[in-house]
Amino acid sequence: MNFFFHINVIFLVLFLTSNTYAQNQIVADLSQENVKISTDFLGAKILLFGAYDGKKGDDIIVIVTGPKGLVTVQKKEKVLGVWVNTRKVNYINAPKYLSISSNRKIEDILNQKTQKISEIGVDNLNIRMQPGIKVENEKHWRQALTRNMLKSNLWSINENSVILNKDALFRSFLELPSNVITGQFEVKILHYRNSKLVSQQINSINVSKSGISAEIYNIAQNYSTLYGIFAVFLAVLVGWGSNLIFRKV
Amino acid sequence: MYYYSLGNNDETLMYIYLPIAEQPIHTLAILGVGAFLGLIMGLVGVGGGFLLTPIMMFLGIPPPVAVASVANQLVAPSVSGVLSHWKRSNVDFKMGTVLLVGGVVGSSIGVLLFNFLGKIGQLDFVIKSSYVIFLTLIGSLMFAESLRLILRTRKGKVSRGKLHQHNWLHGLPFKIRFRKSKLYISILLPILIGVIVGILAALMGIGGGFIIVPAMIYLLGMPTSLVVGTSLFQIIFVAANTTILQASQNQTVDIVLATILLLGSVIGVQIGSRFTNILKGEYLRLILSSIIIIVSLKLLVDLITVPSDLFSVIISR
Repeated sequence: MNFFFHINVIFLVLFLTSNTYAQNQIVADLSQENVKISTDFLGAKILLFGAYDGKKGDDIIVIVTGPKGLVTVQKKEKVLGVWVNTRKVNYINAPKYLSISSNRKIEDILNQKTQKISEIGVDNLNIRMQPGIKVENEKHWRQALTRNMLKSNLWSINENSVILNKDALFRSFLELPSNVITGQFEVKILHYRNSKLVSQQINSINVSKSGISAEIYNIAQNYSTLYGIFAVFLAVLVGWGSNLIFRKV
Repeated sequence: MYYYSLGNNDETLMYIYLPIAEQPIHTLAILGVGAFLGLIMGLVGVGGGFLLTPIMMFLGIPPPVAVASVANQLVAPSVSGVLSHWKRSNVDFKMGTVLLVGGVVGSSIGVLLFNFLGKIGQLDFVIKSSYVIFLTLIGSLMFAESLRLILRTRKGKVSRGKLHQHNWLHGLPFKIRFRKSKLYISILLPILIGVIVGILAALMGIGGGFIIVPAMIYLLGMPTSLVVGTSLFQIIFVAANTTILQASQNQTVDIVLATILLLGSVIGVQIGSRFTNILKGEYLRLILSSIIIIVSLKLLVDLITVPSDLFSVIISR
């Protein structure tokens, strides 16, 4: 395993230094492209590494975006002394995972306007509300979405986490938390020089359930009644069995 | 390729990823919780579900998964309990069957209600507030009764329990004879009790022992010797029905979580039931009721204090 990794790096370096290598290129690879969620899954740490045709002062931003879909934000209000969810807003295309990594502070790399145009940063994503919903103070809801997603570690901002080496190599660890959602993850690597995008590459990571954990999940979804009957049967068996065993003790 | 994983030292080996709750959990912690609750069940005769579900929620299991999986695990200690009560001929199967008819209807209504509350986003609130109400009620009743018993035995006065009295509820139509329980009462009453307990069982992830036992003693007037065995008999079917319906309607039964819990609990029950004669029941009930009151206070505080964030998110899978 280790061997292949080193071979890869060597090829990358050769590729970079060779004459045929085109200007302004970036190449990257991942230590793991398929993440399997099995019974021992506690999250994953993936090494992203690669080479770029850099100059002093160049920057790299890595954006990992998970599957997009429905995320509901609920708001609690005090009703008769207790806090109850009273209102909600559905966001229809919110990324269920997002990590933004960079070699230094994003605000030092790009100005606010560029960030907005390139949709870089948690506040600049184009996330739409379900059509037809009308709320006052839309900004509050959007901030609540960002705050809660960051709190759950499903969204993260990791400034200073991309490590640059001799303006030619870069590496970064991408962390997927244990509560990560399955699906296709896009890894976008952006290379900036004086706030201008020089080159970019897109890789992908596939997160899926595997092994017994996946089997159980699939059975529970597809043969739900049978699954329920089996769960009861198992419990009856253990209850009856324990009675038999302990009677003799 | 270079493989980085967080799961390669001794500590992380203790974790197991729950396929339905979709999160890892410490295996020994869950096994221990199951054993502790089983111990209480064996010692006191009631318990289990109504403490187990809140503890699961405190540990971060989503309430819908906690409720459904605890219903599943309850089947095991109930089967085990019924078998030992049956051996001592402490089960009124006729009464149990009437109760379970009501219980099956009730738990079916409960699961539908559960589904509906989930859709309108009020499920967590309803589960938690039902717990506050019932735990406070049952905790303080138990506390008062065990304290009274302790004080009375200290004074040396032991009064004989009252024989059952007929009330107007017994006079409803469709009277039927329950030979074992020495009762001739309307069939509507046990069915109604079954329905109510069934609804609560499905909503709260409990067997309902702590509601049905007093109801059988005070409302039906059954002999106390038969009450625990008969209630366990009906709980098997209510819990089984709840599990199957939760699995088919809401896909919230986590069989891995339930299995770890039930393995712990069947061991706990057996150990507990062997110590019942050594430890004094009143003192145990006093301790248990104190735990119940603490749990309900914790839940109540969560409901009434200003949340640190008024907003929360639900991520659709």
